[in-house]
Amino acid sequence: MDISGQIVLTALMAVFLFGVVLFLARAADWRTYTPLAGAGSGIVSREGGYGHAEKPAGIFRWLTTVDHKDIGILYGVYAILAFAWGGIAVIIMRAELITPGIDVTQALASSMGVSNGQNLYNGLLTSHGITMLFLFGTPILAAFSNYLVPLLIDADDMAFPRINAIAFWMLPPGAVLIWAGFFIAPFVDSVAPSMASWTMYPPQSTAQTAQGGAASTISQLNAGTDLMLLGLHLTGVSATMGAINFIATIFAERGPDVGWDKLDIFSWTILTQSALILFSFPLLGSALVMLLLDRNFATTFFTTDGGGTILYQHLFWFFGHPEVYILVLPPMGIISYVLPRFSGRKLFGFKFVVYSTLAIGVLSFGVWAHHMFSTGIDPRIRASFMAVSLAIAIPSAVKTFNWITTMWNGKIRLTTPMLFCIGFVGNFIIGGVTGVFLASIPVDLILHDTYYVVGHFHYVIMGAIAFAVFAGVYYWFPLVTGRMYQVTLAKAHFWLTMVGTNLTFFAMILMGYAGMPRRYATYNLITVGPIDFIQLLHVLATVGAFILLVAQIIWLWNMVQSYLEGPRVGPDPWNLEEDGVDSREWDWFEDRLDTALTDGGEPEDAETDA
Amino acid sequence: MTVAEESGDDHGHHLPAVEDWPRGFGEASWWPFVAALGAGGIYLGAALYVLVSRNIVSYGVFAGAAILSTLLFLVGLFGWLYHAFIVSFWERGADEHSAHKLRWGMVAFLGSEVATFSAGFVYYFFVRVGDVGEVPHLFGSLVIVNTALLVASSFTIHFAHTSLLKGNRKRFIGLLGATLVLGLVFIAGQVYEYYEFIVHEGFALGSGEFSQVFASGFYALTGLHGLHVSLGAVLIGIVFVRALRGQYSAERHVSVSTVSMYWHFVDIVWIFLVVVLYVGAPVA
Repeated sequence: MDISGQIVLTALMAVFLFGVVLFLARAADWRTYTPLAGAGSGIVSREGGYGHAEKPAGIFRWLTTVDHKDIGILYGVYAILAFAWGGIAVIIMRAELITPGIDVTQALASSMGVSNGQNLYNGLLTSHGITMLFLFGTPILAAFSNYLVPLLIDADDMAFPRINAIAFWMLPPGAVLIWAGFFIAPFVDSVAPSMASWTMYPPQSTAQTAQGGAASTISQLNAGTDLMLLGLHLTGVSATMGAINFIATIFAERGPDVGWDKLDIFSWTILTQSALILFSFPLLGSALVMLLLDRNFATTFFTTDGGGTILYQHLFWFFGHPEVYILVLPPMGIISYVLPRFSGRKLFGFKFVVYSTLAIGVLSFGVWAHHMFSTGIDPRIRASFMAVSLAIAIPSAVKTFNWITTMWNGKIRLTTPMLFCIGFVGNFIIGGVTGVFLASIPVDLILHDTYYVVGHFHYVIMGAIAFAVFAGVYYWFPLVTGRMYQVTLAKAHFWLTMVGTNLTFFAMILMGYAGMPRRYATYNLITVGPIDFIQLLHVLATVGAFILLVAQIIWLWNMVQSYLEGPRVGPDPWNLEEDGVDSREWDWFEDRLDTALTDGGEPEDAETDA
Repeated sequence: MTVAEESGDDHGHHLPAVEDWPRGFGEASWWPFVAALGAGGIYLGAALYVLVSRNIVSYGVFAGAAILSTLLFLVGLFGWLYHAFIVSFWERGADEHSAHKLRWGMVAFLGSEVATFSAGFVYYFFVRVGDVGEVPHLFGSLVIVNTALLVASSFTIHFAHTSLLKGNRKRFIGLLGATLVLGLVFIAGQVYEYYEFIVHEGFALGSGEFSQVFASGFYALTGLHGLHVSLGAVLIGIVFVRALRGQYSAERHVSVSTVSMYWHFVDIVWIFLVVVLYVGAPVA
């Protein structure tokens, strides 16, 4: 396995990187604007609202752009690269879990400069979580909101276009620092990828050496964790700047005929999300700085003399639970926006979907201690957090029922985005209901730190959030590229993703019932349940994960090829006007197509997914 | 008027970066990229500092990276502010719309600052529930004088702003200068206080006879606040220099009002700090 496994991984990585290079090479020329010969020569290049002369040509366009649409695309490409990193990390982890003992990661460990397989597994686990939440989740939503919110609210651009640009450009250095442990580990023995897990609880985050042991002096601490904390802080600053920008944009930049009553559902969720970011990310930033000070300057914030790990958990989850809604509210907005288009109806109970968004936003700050039920905190505190955690199911259910009611007796068209919307609703119900069980203290005490929890939140994160992202990507693919994707590949992507998601994560829920603890690289020594049964479930989960891998490769291929060669679309690729469910961004698209036609573009047969 | 600006006028679409570098474009600016490189470099510098402390890289590498990145960051910010706000100060429209969004930006930023400070306060309250150990004597004439200075500076910046709105330019510049001096004296007072605590009273991080648990909270909160006052002094300094060079009028005063909002916020945080830390620490 060791040599051939590495060769396979290397080949996969090479194919992936080659695709990235191809994409970038084309992206540099894509919709290039010819700079004016001699600024101020007085030649007005075109008639449309979006002139050719607004940006320099080639790669400089992407480095200097302050256009919200370009920045949205940059966010999207960045997020997909991070998705690939996080995905490869988890594929290695799933391969490890096929057998109870340590094998795959043990074989890879020495070539990656990590002391043993368990430590590599822990490093991959940490990197997977951090990457998917902070480098994929938040940025991919920023991709949608940057591209769409100014179009949907009839704004010229974001309120602060340059802040928009700097917020994006702070992300790549952030990612490099977060992943730095992997880059440095092969060269320096005393540095390893951080093994603190994405929650970064002390003492793992304050006292761990590169070998996974306890450090007794500062110089023994694994610097990989310091670099990860610094990178996280940088991405947090970026997210906060983005949130400030969206709040100012939605409050101050709405067009003259977009009053609060006319604000679309997606912008509502982005506004609520931005408010949550505004109050949670800076607090995480302070907690990260406190960790760094504890590590490097002998402060006592999270030591046993000081606040201890309980204080850290309070601070972390005061950020961490709103972060869940930061990640899920805009996908809910995408679903609420896209699903009615293919149901031939307006969103059922629009007002109540908005109210439930705001209610989730407020309640999300009052549920954090449900992550700490088993830590021994005061039972009265636990009970109140249990009450609020159960209560937050109500607005979530309001949304679910509104989506179902929107489809009820509707004229449903099973396009790919619609399939992903329906998949979202189904998976979100499983993810949500398993969450309601976890909100109950006695159930949580049994299932805490088992795979049940992992299954639950992956149903929400992969089954719901990623599904909504794919729904959005397919729905707005023609808007961004002017072309249609390949329908057969898209449907294959949906069905493989749906099957893979449910296979992987339902197996995890069962594993949790069987008592399999989360975060373990091996399970040959566990005594909670029959190992054969647990191994079978692990194998099923791994098979599901590989199905997901194949599905995402198909998706990436579809996106790249369709962007290059897909058939051009007309002004209304989804035939929305027929059902009277057209919306503002497609009006903008029609304007842009008209402009392109006068500029010499050739009209082709319009293509749809219907 | 550049070409790009004219060409972007139909459909009422306004280009965001007309006067910028590279010139001639309306939606391109190098400054965010340069500033982000600098900011990323500053974090890289911090990372190198960590690697210095683990004996992995040499001190010179760290110092070089830190200095270069800071310079790059400052250059980026300077170019940004210059092109976005200064170069066409009198030509830009002085509409309520632009002022509106900048004020919303500042309000949102101050909201995020509440969260930034609250982590430190939460630590302090959390450890105060138990016994923090021996706390030094904190409340004295220096704190009273410093508090008075900062509160006074909130009044001077407020009346500087109202003077500008009433068209009294001389008084505006005078009061703004007074605010800057008060802010700088406050910072000097804080530095002096740190010096007294650390050198003469043995109240320091990492050593000394007083509670380390308390020292962590004290230096984190006062240090974070000191950084904010310093940033505020820089912002007031920028506004002051721009005022001296003839900018601002009763119609064009957005940055005066946003900087004033920031300064009031920093002042309010200080009042909290005095009550909770300086006066509240010995309270059992």
